[in-house]
Amino acid sequence: MKKSLTLLGAASVLFAMTGADAGAQQTLAQVKQRGALNCQVGLPTPGFYALSADGKWSGLDVDMCRAVAAAIFDDPDKVRYQSVTSAVRFTSLANGESDMLSRTTTWTAVRDSQLGLEFVGVNFYDGQGFLVPKASGIKSARELDGATVCVLTGTTTELNLADYFRANNMRLQAVTNENVNVLVETYLGGGCDAYTNDKSGLAARRSAFPTPDDHVILPETISKEPLGPVVRHGDQNWGDIVRWVLMGLIEAEELGVNSRNLDEMLKSDNPNIKRLLGVEGNIGQGMGLTNDFMVRVIRHLGNYGELYERHVGANTPVGIPREESLNALWTKGGLMYAMPFR
Amino acid sequence: MPDESRLATADRPLVFAPKPSRAPPSSAIGPIAWMRANLFSSVSNALLTLLGAYIVIVVFAAIINWALVDAVWEASNRRECLDKVGRAGACWPGVIAWIPNLLYGLYPKDQVWRINAAFLMLVVWALPLWLPGVRSKLAIGLSAVLLYPFPASYFFHGGEQDLLWTALIALGLAAFAWVWLTTFSERFTGLSFGAFVARVTGDAEQPEESARLRARIGYAVLYLAALALAAQWSLSEVPTRYWGGLFLTLVISGIGITFSLPAGVMLALGRRSHMPFISLCSTAFIELFRSVPLITILFMFNTMLPLFLPVGVEVNRLVRAIVAVCLFAAAYMAEIVRGGLQAILRGQYEAAAAVGLGFWQSTALVIMPQALRIMIPTIVGNFIGLFKDTTLVSIIGLFDLLSMARAVGEDTTWLGLFLEPFFFITLIYFVFCFLMSQYSLNLERRLGAGQRR
Repeated sequence: MKKSLTLLGAASVLFAMTGADAGAQQTLAQVKQRGALNCQVGLPTPGFYALSADGKWSGLDVDMCRAVAAAIFDDPDKVRYQSVTSAVRFTSLANGESDMLSRTTTWTAVRDSQLGLEFVGVNFYDGQGFLVPKASGIKSARELDGATVCVLTGTTTELNLADYFRANNMRLQAVTNENVNVLVETYLGGGCDAYTNDKSGLAARRSAFPTPDDHVILPETISKEPLGPVVRHGDQNWGDIVRWVLMGLIEAEELGVNSRNLDEMLKSDNPNIKRLLGVEGNIGQGMGLTNDFMVRVIRHLGNYGELYERHVGANTPVGIPREESLNALWTKGGLMYAMPFR
Repeated sequence: MPDESRLATADRPLVFAPKPSRAPPSSAIGPIAWMRANLFSSVSNALLTLLGAYIVIVVFAAIINWALVDAVWEASNRRECLDKVGRAGACWPGVIAWIPNLLYGLYPKDQVWRINAAFLMLVVWALPLWLPGVRSKLAIGLSAVLLYPFPASYFFHGGEQDLLWTALIALGLAAFAWVWLTTFSERFTGLSFGAFVARVTGDAEQPEESARLRARIGYAVLYLAALALAAQWSLSEVPTRYWGGLFLTLVISGIGITFSLPAGVMLALGRRSHMPFISLCSTAFIELFRSVPLITILFMFNTMLPLFLPVGVEVNRLVRAIVAVCLFAAAYMAEIVRGGLQAILRGQYEAAAAVGLGFWQSTALVIMPQALRIMIPTIVGNFIGLFKDTTLVSIIGLFDLLSMARAVGEDTTWLGLFLEPFFFITLIYFVFCFLMSQYSLNLERRLGAGQRR
């Protein structure tokens, strides 16, 4: 999800950038000294950063935090989660409170270049779609002319919606609220003809409907939402660490290394696997980590495919099938592509 | 033989003795008459009554149906609830599963007893205030406000204690023991604790100095015992980022409320002061904090403050929020107190001055007691507002009661469950605010604030 900054947030981020440089250096040293990674997630959202009844954080983005902690400390639990509203997310990163941000943040040109942020990669490709009742007979988003659409307010979701309707010469009546649950209730109560959000969110919400099969997600995807972890400008080494933990997770899946076969893979003759697991080469030490940092990550958490299936895959309540989606490996027609480990 | 009874009657002066009055007709008393007088006095009133009754019945019937009759009480996830009753009935198992989080946040569940113990300690501490026969109520109240925070914060936070910290905790424990020793001695012997110690340890014939010395030794022994206890006391550390739910709401608003009243009094006096520097500072502070929304102050304290601190210095997020809330509440309280001060007639000041009271004496003994009494409704209204305003801390990443309730509907097991948790916390907020408001009414009645002026 990609809630836009409030004016307040934007102003303060610009303000914050002036002070960011001082705190930016040696993030890794600070993290090690503190003994824990300050990782910012969002307000609880199923699949990505969910809080359970026993008070534990879990999710795809939470595991990104845990992976970085595992790479540094060999202990994925050495994470202090910070959960703030999206209005202050970049400020909390810029002012040094968070070491990294892992909370379904869309990589955009303005954010990357003007807010003092560095996007290190993409761990989930999302896109905005529409959910409609099956009974309406609507088969395509193009048929939504004149429809009332429920949409989160103050987000790029809202802007994308307006863009799409204008580009297609359609009339739009938006019903806005800042709370997803209120929108869903409105939609279920017949207050709007369609509900729009990122498709990952649509699937998750639909699973909680009284009769999920009475609702369909329309085929159109009206926006690009590459979501990934973010760090501050000014400490490239720290950015490298987060980036290559993410790359390592994807590379491990491509090479078939997972948490179950890790010990066999450590004996593998494949030079790519040897470099990934630090049996050969000095990739980890070059970043200030140990060479076996990916062994730690995979042992505790698994590879990207395992994380995906654990939190958002088809067998979870969120239920987003991975096959033939953008989130499949590049070898299987998706966009998940790790830069070479060498 | 004269009829004695007739004689007796004749002797008595003739007095008109009315027959006992008959009971009023049933149409003039009892519930029926009351209803006729108050609810159905005219056709239009009767119609309004019926309409009102209809609305109340429909609304309450709907709520009761949803919350109780059609509700599901046993399920392991929301899907089961939906399969049973759809959205017609509440799905309480989700809220029940989340109650520990709603009340205590992410506080380690095996340590939750510490929170309960600390709140119990506060209740026990303040109990003597309501007991008859206890004279040192002011001292007991002050000790609760000033010294309870030390043991309470150790209960909540735990961890290592340094020397100063241990000493302060011991002070709190000693005060706690003193409160109850005083209560017992005053109730049963009518003597204060010090006098009681002096009485027990020596005979009353001895000179006063010796008695005072022995009372002091009694206090010292009490403190040393508390110190020994505090030094032994060890609880595991629970960092404030795990604090949440109702507990966090109570901590923030409790500190805010306790701090804002004295600070507000000081600021109000400062603003009315004739000393230009003090007056200027107080006015500037009050106007600055009153003209900015609380959310902005929280935002400033939470996200801006770290920018001005040196690298590596981290001021606790909760402390920042509490400081922001306290300063904001103090500014508002100052204006309330100033309004109360203005209601005190000039004659009171002059009378106080005439009997030779200085500024502090006349303020503390003459002006403030009257001003505070007439300010009770506004002050408590402000406290209630502050209690609810603490929900704003959710924006800076503190999981108070409201944000915890929001999180229930995002838990994959209970996805979409949001009316029920909100209903539940509405009840919690209602209970707290209603108790505060009732207490203030009770206080007003006892002090006769409405009549005495």
